[in-house]
Amino acid sequence: MKEKSPSAKEVLIKGALIHNPILIQCAGLCPVVAAATSLKNAALLAAAVSLTTIFTCVFASALLKKIQRWIRMGIYLILGTAVIFPLIFLLESQSKSELSLVLKIFLPLIAVNSATAVHCEQFSVKNTVKLAFYDAVAVSIGSSAVLLICGAVREIIGYSSIAGHRLNIPTTFRSAALPFGCFIILGFLAAILKWISAYRYPNLVADSETIVRVKPKKDEIKDTVEVEVFDEFWNEEPEEAPLEIDEYDEIFDSLDNIFDFSGEEDEK
Amino acid sequence: MTESKNYRSTQVFGDYLIMLIAPFALAFIYYGASAFYITAVSVATAVICDAAASAVLGKRFRLKNLDSIFTGAAIAMMMPAGIALYVPVIATAFAVLVAKAPFGGGINAPFVPAAAGFAFSCVCFREKIFDYSFVTDAKFLGSSSIASMLAKGNSVHLNSGNLIDILCGNSAGAMGTGCILIMLGCCAYLFVKRRKALLSTLGFVAVCAVFAFFFPRVNASGLTSVILELSSGSLMFAAVFFMTDQSTMPQSNLYGVLYGVIGGLICMLMRLSGAYEEPVCFAVLLANAFARLLEYIPKRKAAEPK
Repeated sequence: MKEKSPSAKEVLIKGALIHNPILIQCAGLCPVVAAATSLKNAALLAAAVSLTTIFTCVFASALLKKIQRWIRMGIYLILGTAVIFPLIFLLESQSKSELSLVLKIFLPLIAVNSATAVHCEQFSVKNTVKLAFYDAVAVSIGSSAVLLICGAVREIIGYSSIAGHRLNIPTTFRSAALPFGCFIILGFLAAILKWISAYRYPNLVADSETIVRVKPKKDEIKDTVEVEVFDEFWNEEPEEAPLEIDEYDEIFDSLDNIFDFSGEEDEK
Repeated sequence: MTESKNYRSTQVFGDYLIMLIAPFALAFIYYGASAFYITAVSVATAVICDAAASAVLGKRFRLKNLDSIFTGAAIAMMMPAGIALYVPVIATAFAVLVAKAPFGGGINAPFVPAAAGFAFSCVCFREKIFDYSFVTDAKFLGSSSIASMLAKGNSVHLNSGNLIDILCGNSAGAMGTGCILIMLGCCAYLFVKRRKALLSTLGFVAVCAVFAFFFPRVNASGLTSVILELSSGSLMFAAVFFMTDQSTMPQSNLYGVLYGVIGGLICMLMRLSGAYEEPVCFAVLLANAFARLLEYIPKRKAAEPK
């Protein structure tokens, strides 16, 4: 039986939200973490990612369906390079100020962006040019949104400015401009995106999860052996379960009721 | 299951809070009311942030778990006495909102929240965190901490007088982490209550001592180097309060010791060539990451067919 072709709306929502390349698939993280430290940098990276993805996906869908997979991978890299290097040349010749060192390193690396290759292989070569174009646009929108949000948040928190304009924020957090700060921001963005997806598009999320998740069989799950086996090393009895401490309860039970937000009854 | 977890959390963090009474008392004796203000502000921030996070996540906030109170108090003890109050507030808010709440609370957190909060403040407010110029009375070495002295490669000749100062924590540094004698007392308390947890402390301190003996940062004897390294910064505090954290340390004894050894090794390597004069919280966080791997090894071994 022939599978039903997905609608354009479905492709757009899945590409941008449910399978967001950066937040959900964790593809192409390197430029986001290392280079998207300001809104300007993020905008340049977003433009580069969008151009590369759209051009490569459409080209792959139109001309590469019959070519073997191992050859296709190399062609994606050549196509990415063909888009990125003229763009860098254009930027350097047109803009008055030079590109920063970090952009000079990470902008060319977008030519070999894993998000582009993943979408070409997973979607473009299996679908029509029109759908491949919609998917590429969705991926570009999803990536660009994450890049711009990360860049803006990191610039505001880390440098107290936005797009180069100073803001009067009394305290700045240098850690936001560091890679670990970006990972924390990405973690929160991923959580928000998951929540929005599950709330707004539960059916599409459920469809995706049935494909991705493979549940282990019941008899394959083992989770209760580790402590006893290795306690023998010290010839020691396993620790007993701690006793309940009633005096803590008396003090804190009354205080707990003040902070009860759930509306649940106490489990005791 | 939930019920037993709550009691476990209460007991574990209740023990830590009892152990923190002594460092807090010493900080109050040395630095007066500012120690009280910093601790109060930090604990209040932790409780408010935890309550707010619970409200957002739709969970019931349980003060009797005591984890948020411990997080606030531990961060306060690692701060210098003259710190601006917004620094412990931000460090504690980070610890609770980023390192604890998203993972489901204190007993489920993969990283020690207090260590994460302090590490964050080290990155953001480096000058303030290591500024020990607030001195209320005559201190050994004045406003220069032992950790900064070691980082610069300066040594000190130990005699009975300054040895007592060093062991009692009467030198510039964090408010409640310098007194090695109090930390040994905390170890004794932990030995009575949860002796299994002390294995990682043992591994941590032993590796730090051996490393300091064989690779001294100062031109002094190996023993002097060991005493100075162990009594500087928050090393012993982290060994007692962070390395024994129930939720992050591996459950088996052998891997508990190995976890401590890894933490101690990372700590001393970072002290030797790191950018910060006190990198122990970064070492604890890295050791936490290794703990997951160490927990996986016995599970994998047990799952192998005989």
